[in-house]
Amino acid sequence: MPGLGADVATHAVTFTCGQCGASLALAGVRTQICPYCASPNFLERPPTPDQPRPAFVVAFTGDATGARRTLDRWLGTRTWFADARIKRARIEDLRGVYVPAYLYSAVAHTDYTAAIGEHYTETETYETTDGEGKKKTETRSVTRTEYRALAGHHVGYVTDVIVSASIGLPNAELQAIEPYDLLALRRYTPAVVSGWIAEEFSRDADACQQASRREAVDEVGLRLRQFMPGDSHSDLTWRTTVTWESFEPILVPVWVLAVRYRDDRAPLRVAINGQTGAIAGKVPLSWWKVTLGIVVAAAVIAAVIFAIAQHGGQPG
Amino acid sequence: MTTCTRCATALEDGDLRCAICAFPAPAAVWVSGGPVHAQVLRCGECGAAVAFSAEAQAPRCGFCGHAMTIEQPVDPVEAAQLRLPFAVDRATAEAALRGWLARRNWFAPPALSSEAVLESLTPLSWAAWLVNAEARVTWTADSDAGALRSAWAPHAGEVSLGFHNIIVPASRGLREAECRLLIPYYELGRVVGIDRALGAGEVGSTIESFDAQRSAARRYVQDAIEATAKVRVQPQIPGQRYRNVHVACLLERQTTDRIALPAWVLAYRYRGAPYRAIVHGQRAEVVFGKSPIDWTKVGKLVALLALISAIIALAVLLR
Repeated sequence: MPGLGADVATHAVTFTCGQCGASLALAGVRTQICPYCASPNFLERPPTPDQPRPAFVVAFTGDATGARRTLDRWLGTRTWFADARIKRARIEDLRGVYVPAYLYSAVAHTDYTAAIGEHYTETETYETTDGEGKKKTETRSVTRTEYRALAGHHVGYVTDVIVSASIGLPNAELQAIEPYDLLALRRYTPAVVSGWIAEEFSRDADACQQASRREAVDEVGLRLRQFMPGDSHSDLTWRTTVTWESFEPILVPVWVLAVRYRDDRAPLRVAINGQTGAIAGKVPLSWWKVTLGIVVAAAVIAAVIFAIAQHGGQPG
Repeated sequence: MTTCTRCATALEDGDLRCAICAFPAPAAVWVSGGPVHAQVLRCGECGAAVAFSAEAQAPRCGFCGHAMTIEQPVDPVEAAQLRLPFAVDRATAEAALRGWLARRNWFAPPALSSEAVLESLTPLSWAAWLVNAEARVTWTADSDAGALRSAWAPHAGEVSLGFHNIIVPASRGLREAECRLLIPYYELGRVVGIDRALGAGEVGSTIESFDAQRSAARRYVQDAIEATAKVRVQPQIPGQRYRNVHVACLLERQTTDRIALPAWVLAYRYRGAPYRAIVHGQRAEVVFGKSPIDWTKVGKLVALLALISAIIALAVLLR
């Protein structure tokens, strides 16, 4: 379901945002502002040719009302110093967008080296003084670590790596609301995204593939840390070779709330995972609230100091 | 049969990606399974799904006797291709259960055997995957070989292993822990096709549908294979003692069969609350389950322990 209040168009129309550069196809929904940055500089243009056709899509699992409830709960947990304008955002400001991304998987072969720490205990003697001030020698057991070099090989599939292909929603923001449950992956058909805003694949595929490989290598690093034997390890280095890569264009669902509260500032943006409800965003501070808080805190401290001083100066 | 281009695992109708390595399946595979949907009867109390058969007409859960509800899964519904016949008949199962109830621990209510209302003693064939695969396994471990000041030294290695007839539970009616207790006692040499007619005197049973959908099977299979690999690599580790065994598996050429495994399920109620016990379908001596706790006895025991502690504390103080 599209965001409430949208005018329904009968055919797909492509728009480009003059502010953030996102290119969005609106099939069955029309909006006057960019859903990513709330810019009104949102112009219709012909679709970009040679767009990759999505292979899979993860579908939205709720409507804008449910996403709004998620947003309200999340805002309720934010600090009192948050700018109130975000709380005044209307439900129609929350837009459901199918964000373009690439789904990457590969076989990862990794050669690693590490120093593996193995604990052992030793009995050592030390001098101490007893209650009468006399020196005496005692023993104690201490745990020490012996480091041994280890080199080896690690294999595994790296799957379910998702990298944003969106200019509107950079990869860091998409990662903040991952993971998606890919058991619910569907084969893409235009019918699945009908009635929703879908962004075009606007990032370079080669750059996205490089980013996917970096994420895959990072994932291998996490696995290697779990893979190391011993009581501890250090100096872990590894070299990963990926083979049998697959790199499929997909669409993932994201609810985006973009609030442009000052023309000279970047828009405030909150993203909600359209499948799991995971939410991430930066809430700007309200400086008058921060100032008021500091003033009140200073007044309270001053009052306490004054009261203590008064009480201390007058006996009984 | 279509296999995955990357890992040669058998693909099944409707697969979008390989269940093992997530490589996209050819369009011919996913198209064939696309439109198939089915409805499953689901128990509203214990979550079990049991397929209807000629022998089981009533819409009641075979595990706990509770009423069932309907759901519609995303994946095509799967059915067992193989079954393991029952080797324990009803009389033997009943005797095993009576013996088990009589052996309940001290905390069981004394009136359990007299007040427990038996709701059903049902022969059920629960759903499992029978997995065969090859894997390249890399491992690390500590062992006493090459140890210096510490008793342990790190080691790493790599080995190719074949995994045959690994049973991975696909049942929701039985909990995974219950399946794990049953699995070691099944003799897979007696497996027959699901369509083979019952022999004379053979126990007929309700066949559980595959509840854990196959799209979710990958994690279960991977976990099961890795658990097995941890045991299988142990002969590769040098030395006499070892610890911290870690494995990483690259599964290939996996095939999966669906099998129905026999168990007798006793559903009973004690003072309104449902309980159940399970008898292995091939080994009657394997019985386990849950029974109510007599909290009065627990309270008395706690009070007795508190009294003993108080007496000991008093004795110490008066010394």
